[in-house]
Amino acid sequence: MSSHDLFPCMYEWMSDMDVSLAGNLRRWAESELMEKRLELKEDYAALLAPAMRKLFCDIGLQRLFWPEAHGGDGHNSPSAAYTMVAALEQVARGDTGIALLLSSLWALQTCVATEGRVNEEACEALSPVITSNDAPAIVSLVLPLFRDVPQAKAKLSRGSWSVEAEKARPASSGADASVFAVLCALEGVDDPGDALGIVAIPGDAKGIKRGSAFLKTGLAADRNADVEFAKVKAPEAMCVARGVEACRAALAWFYLGVSASNVGALFACHEILKEWGDNRVIKGKGNIFKDNPLTAAVMAEVAKEISVDRLLTCDLARVLAEPAIYGPAGSEANFVTASMVAHQVAQSAEKAIGNAMEMMASAGYATEWNLERYWRDTKTMQLCLGPYELAKMDVARYFYQSQAR
Amino acid sequence: MRTIDDFTRPLEYLSPLDDPLGKIVRDWAENYVIPHRRKFDEDWKEHALIEPAFKKLMGELGMQRVLFPEDLGGWGLGRSNYVGTASYRLFEEVARADSGMAVAFGVVYWPMVMIAMEPHVNRELCEEFAPIFCNTTEPRFAANAMTEPQGGADIENMEIVGGSTIQTTAVLDGDEWVINGHKLWPTNSGGVCDLFGVVCTTNPGSRDPNDFAFIFVPADTPGVTQGPPYQKAGMAADKNGDIWFENVRVPKSYRAHGPGLDLMYFKEVISFGNMGSISFVGGVMLNVFERLYEFVSSETYKGQPLKEHDAVAGVLADFVRDTEIVRMCGYQYARMLDRPDLYGPRWSDEMVAKGRAIKYWACDQGMADVGKAMNLMSSYGADRDWDIEKHWRDLKIVQLWMGGKQLCQAEVARWFFDLETV
Ligand SMILES: Cc1cc2nc3c(=O)[nH]c(=O)nc-3n(C[C@H](O)[C@H](O)[C@H](O)COP(=O)(O)OP(=O)(O)OC[C@H]3O[C@@H](n4cnc5c(N)ncnc54)[C@H](O)[C@@H]3O)c2cc1C
Repeated sequence: MSSHDLFPCMYEWMSDMDVSLAGNLRRWAESELMEKRLELKEDYAALLAPAMRKLFCDIGLQRLFWPEAHGGDGHNSPSAAYTMVAALEQVARGDTGIALLLSSLWALQTCVATEGRVNEEACEALSPVITSNDAPAIVSLVLPLFRDVPQAKAKLSRGSWSVEAEKARPASSGADASVFAVLCALEGVDDPGDALGIVAIPGDAKGIKRGSAFLKTGLAADRNADVEFAKVKAPEAMCVARGVEACRAALAWFYLGVSASNVGALFACHEILKEWGDNRVIKGKGNIFKDNPLTAAVMAEVAKEISVDRLLTCDLARVLAEPAIYGPAGSEANFVTASMVAHQVAQSAEKAIGNAMEMMASAGYATEWNLERYWRDTKTMQLCLGPYELAKMDVARYFYQSQAR
Repeated sequence: MRTIDDFTRPLEYLSPLDDPLGKIVRDWAENYVIPHRRKFDEDWKEHALIEPAFKKLMGELGMQRVLFPEDLGGWGLGRSNYVGTASYRLFEEVARADSGMAVAFGVVYWPMVMIAMEPHVNRELCEEFAPIFCNTTEPRFAANAMTEPQGGADIENMEIVGGSTIQTTAVLDGDEWVINGHKLWPTNSGGVCDLFGVVCTTNPGSRDPNDFAFIFVPADTPGVTQGPPYQKAGMAADKNGDIWFENVRVPKSYRAHGPGLDLMYFKEVISFGNMGSISFVGGVMLNVFERLYEFVSSETYKGQPLKEHDAVAGVLADFVRDTEIVRMCGYQYARMLDRPDLYGPRWSDEMVAKGRAIKYWACDQGMADVGKAMNLMSSYGADRDWDIEKHWRDLKIVQLWMGGKQLCQAEVARWFFDLETV
């Protein structure tokens, strides 16, 4: 039984297409990544870039959430949340970094292309990137590093935004981005509820200066670098999310992507641990690892984390997929739910994969067994959410009307 | 401004070497390690950057000699009554810079615990092996080869498994031991080792303590083959690989002590391993404190340094709390090793259990705290330039090695609750 069937999931919410896409992506992960990685490790050029190209362009996931009228597959309603989860679980099982890039892309696409509120001008501007058959559409989200303090500011003058940030650190892909989605403080806006926006900027826009990719803990597919935006111009329509609620909606979708990607990494962790537990012998001859109560208890804990994380992620998908029931994605309630789920799942992944490494001791620490990469990847992805301590202020505000900032 | 020297140390029982050695090693770390360590991960195979730092510390400053008797060129630490506390400080200072270097350095001592420590100094073997380490300014490495492909934890789990899974055999043939077997993972293997201490059995499958043998094998002995180093999540400064022993012949006298005694004193090796592990956690936490201090003081949130945010301050306080406790417990355990007259022999099950209890607490807490420090730093937490992510990756193996947490739990519960089967 594959992890997809083993761990609890609200299948009733998923379509046949979601399930079959997951099956195809499982095969993609195996043939493009897992079968080659013993030899190629985390080689960007030889392993990750070709796998990403196949996924984004050939299989076409970058066109999934994009209107047909703009050359996409037209799967651009909120119910795509389930498709995203089903896909990201499998993608992340193969490579968590690629799943993060897909999560960033989809978060931007939900701002621009959601059925019923398609931003035609932005779609037109972004379509060449999104519908490319050759190059993956890599979106770099430039989010606040610390909760609600944007790294960039933007000013509107004569129908054009001017975006400025001295040294912004994107959540991912600063070095490779084909599009930057920059969360900015909007200057000259009186109502604080409107003073936040996400401006989408093509990667080759004038005034963008990228640093070189820096070394980091994990997520080799995401080559990140600091970026300077020196009065970078963008047409007014490229402010694709305007106001606090719209920005929160984009974040909520991104958080869904991060959660599903963590679950996918946990699937891989479970498979590796299962193989170990089935075959390793401890405490003298004949004692199969998984039959030892002390280790079985830890393995159970790992399975519990995965199950709960998957259920939470399914629930978050439901919340975002059904605005008629739960309200808009960017409402305070939904944003806080998304943030809580994302942090919970990210911390749980750190714990569960850490525990699995403990079970496998040296093998868990060796690159050869492939477990440690998920540990590094999920920790790195956790940090894209920003400090949990600060995120708690949003939770306290919603549940207790706390004024703590 | 507070510094790492504001963390508590047990002033009343520090070793006389604490200050001078601590200072020497800190200077070495500042000049030879800290400026280069961000590139160590990519240097895991070649050690082109790492080797010069080892040469300075071990060869030129002479730290690889400290355990051996003075008249053999050593510093006599093994015969002092401060071997625990002095080593604790040394290891902590090295680990502050790089815990991979700390383990590689610490393991140079590790097998020597069998022969260079009072009250069981094996003078003949000290004379035999001291020149390797004491007559050179080049770094020399020793390794403690316990772990085998079928499992490392069982080999350390002597009470329950009784050595019955050890597959590396030692057969006496006239005046020589003939050793056959396959070890893997020892620190300082992967091609760098000069002298192995090898855990063997003289009677495969036996649970008799007399059949446990600890035999020294110079790495250039015919029949010894070291494989290349493994690639790991971290700890690039420590090379680990396979070692094959094929009909390796060494003199009979290379067995550390003989039937029964080898196993008895081997438990002292475990006690020192636990003490060393705790000091590595402590050293890492001290440096994480330094880097974190800089980060939360320089980064701002809503117009104030990040550290002035009350909720962030709560996490910072927890970090300090745990660093204080790791250090106090670590020094306390080191002191217990220094004073067997008060706390009993270092090889007793009690000392092993107490060492394991502190080791696994320190490791679990250290991992959690360093992980939280990274989280406070947002995306910078994963950035090599801030050093903390490297410490986090390096530290994980300290938690996993020496049989992992579960063996620690088993031994602690066994001793304190008089368990018989766990
Ligand atoms: C950087 C590094 C340095 C190392 N240095 C050395 C060294 O110097 N010398 C050396 O010999 N080895 C060394 N090792 C190996 C290390 O000590 C072993 O990996 C460790 O002892 C566990 O052995 P194992 O990997 O074979 O796992 P196993 O023995 O298979 O154990 C796996 C897990 O099983 C569980 N377990 C084990 N026994 C029990 C039990 N009785 N009850 C319940 N659960 C149990 C634990 O969770 C354990 O983590 C090193 C490894 C690394 C990565």
